[in-house]
Amino acid sequence: MQYKPRMKTASFWFLTGSLFLFPVLFLIVKSFTLPWRYQADFHMHFTLRGWSTLLSENQLISATFISLLIGAVVVLLNLIIGLSAGKALAFYQFKGKSIMDTLFLLPLIFPLLAIAMGVHIAMIRLGLADSWIGVVLIHLVPTIPYSIKILRNGYVSLGSAMLEQSTSLGANVRSRFLTIELPLLKPALRSTIFLTFVISLSQYVITAIIGGGNVVTLAMVYFPFLQSASSTVLAAFSIWFALVPILFYLIVEIILCFLPYQSPWRIKT
Amino acid sequence: MRLSETNKAWLLLLPAFLFLLLPLYGLLSALWSSLTVNGAFSLSVYQQLMERDAFWGSLFYSLRIAIIATLLSLGFGLVFTRTFTHYLNKTSGKLAAWIPMLFPHFVWGYLVLLLFQQSGFISYMAFQIGIIESREAFPILTNDKNGFGMIITYMGKEIPFVILMLLPIYAQQNSQYHDLVRTLGGNRWHRFKDAEWPWVYPVLLETGVILFSFIFSAYEIPYLLGATFPEMISILTYDWFYAGDWSERPLAFAAMIFTSVIIGIIAWIGFSLMNRKRWLLTKGSR
Repeated sequence: MQYKPRMKTASFWFLTGSLFLFPVLFLIVKSFTLPWRYQADFHMHFTLRGWSTLLSENQLISATFISLLIGAVVVLLNLIIGLSAGKALAFYQFKGKSIMDTLFLLPLIFPLLAIAMGVHIAMIRLGLADSWIGVVLIHLVPTIPYSIKILRNGYVSLGSAMLEQSTSLGANVRSRFLTIELPLLKPALRSTIFLTFVISLSQYVITAIIGGGNVVTLAMVYFPFLQSASSTVLAAFSIWFALVPILFYLIVEIILCFLPYQSPWRIKT
Repeated sequence: MRLSETNKAWLLLLPAFLFLLLPLYGLLSALWSSLTVNGAFSLSVYQQLMERDAFWGSLFYSLRIAIIATLLSLGFGLVFTRTFTHYLNKTSGKLAAWIPMLFPHFVWGYLVLLLFQQSGFISYMAFQIGIIESREAFPILTNDKNGFGMIITYMGKEIPFVILMLLPIYAQQNSQYHDLVRTLGGNRWHRFKDAEWPWVYPVLLETGVILFSFIFSAYEIPYLLGATFPEMISILTYDWFYAGDWSERPLAFAAMIFTSVIIGIIAWIGFSLMNRKRWLLTKGSR
């Protein structure tokens, strides 16, 4: 009996280790070592040049800020749309609700490239092409369906009883939202925010089409680097891509602390 | 009273509907651009498209890569989730399995390049150990015709996604169904088929449809890891869209509409199978 779980634990960690953890460790090591050469024996030469080249790239910091700005606005719009639609789908019964579930998945399914190419001319006419607002709008397409799905499930597991109780005790919509819905939806909010931000950060081709090269997000800096930079610099840049969502996550965690009932000193029962 | 409740729901759905206008407009505008020549309705763009061998080659190639990558991701994701539910439910396991989700697709693609290309890490290690004598002896696994590099990248990124989608089902699985099948004399296969599959199947279908459509038409990974020939449909479309004199822009739109129609048909089949199953499930329980 003891043997089998141990084998299973070992195989779980072996698989996740080699498939998911090793690649990341490899990137980290790579960002601190010189590229290998075939002629020589096995060697690893420690270097900081990868990171110093990356950080001295003058576009990097500005691109990081633009990505953070675009990501933050995309997240905010996702929360507004996702919370309201998620609530409607979780608590209300109306005709065509099951069709609605499929309808909100469709933006994920149709080619983003087709959608971006299709709205491009309209964006030019509206003056949104080549601007960060246009890029924010196109980033909504691959993110909103996930937000609606996650927040809808969040509201379903919250249940309507808690909300009804607050109404019968005389709470208005605003205080109900702030003191009950937001604190209890925290896990769902966290997943939504994180996933949305990472997806927004990952968009290259639609950012290139709508931003027209004028909206320089991190992805727009990364792609030209692929042709020119050394693998050490690119490995550092790749790590940077994971650091930015973590930074964003930390900022969000601090903001989430300001929700009601989040004081760490309060007595938990 | 009832009416006002319904209206409230529609009011809450309003922002989401406003959002839907954007992709809807994009698709319709792409359709419109592919169907008009100098402002008049015409099918000539599609005629031109049908005559291009490059289009058919790309289409079938993309279809093949998308189907293989989707099925492998779903298969591995399913086996992984059901074998390791217990570990994935713990924070440490969850964090480990979802690490790839932190990285954009193209970063994971670059990683695959670093590991699998002829001058990559695996080749280098094989050379050091003495399995191969020169780096040219290492098989070409990236930017290759079979799309190995692309498939391995998508698997690395999508298996965690499949786990994410399936984990809630396995975590909340009702073990009494398993016991029931066991009591009635079912073996392991019966337990899977009757106590798991009905719940897993709809989610697997939905995930499969999302993955297939994404892989079929995504641009970033083929750009990094695709071969020059055959190329994925997204690369061909992008080249047509930005071809010097704009003369091939209508072709780009038509190619994307064609792709959308294929995705639409597959999604429709998937969703109708899914809804039927969901309906049967809700009818059966409670």
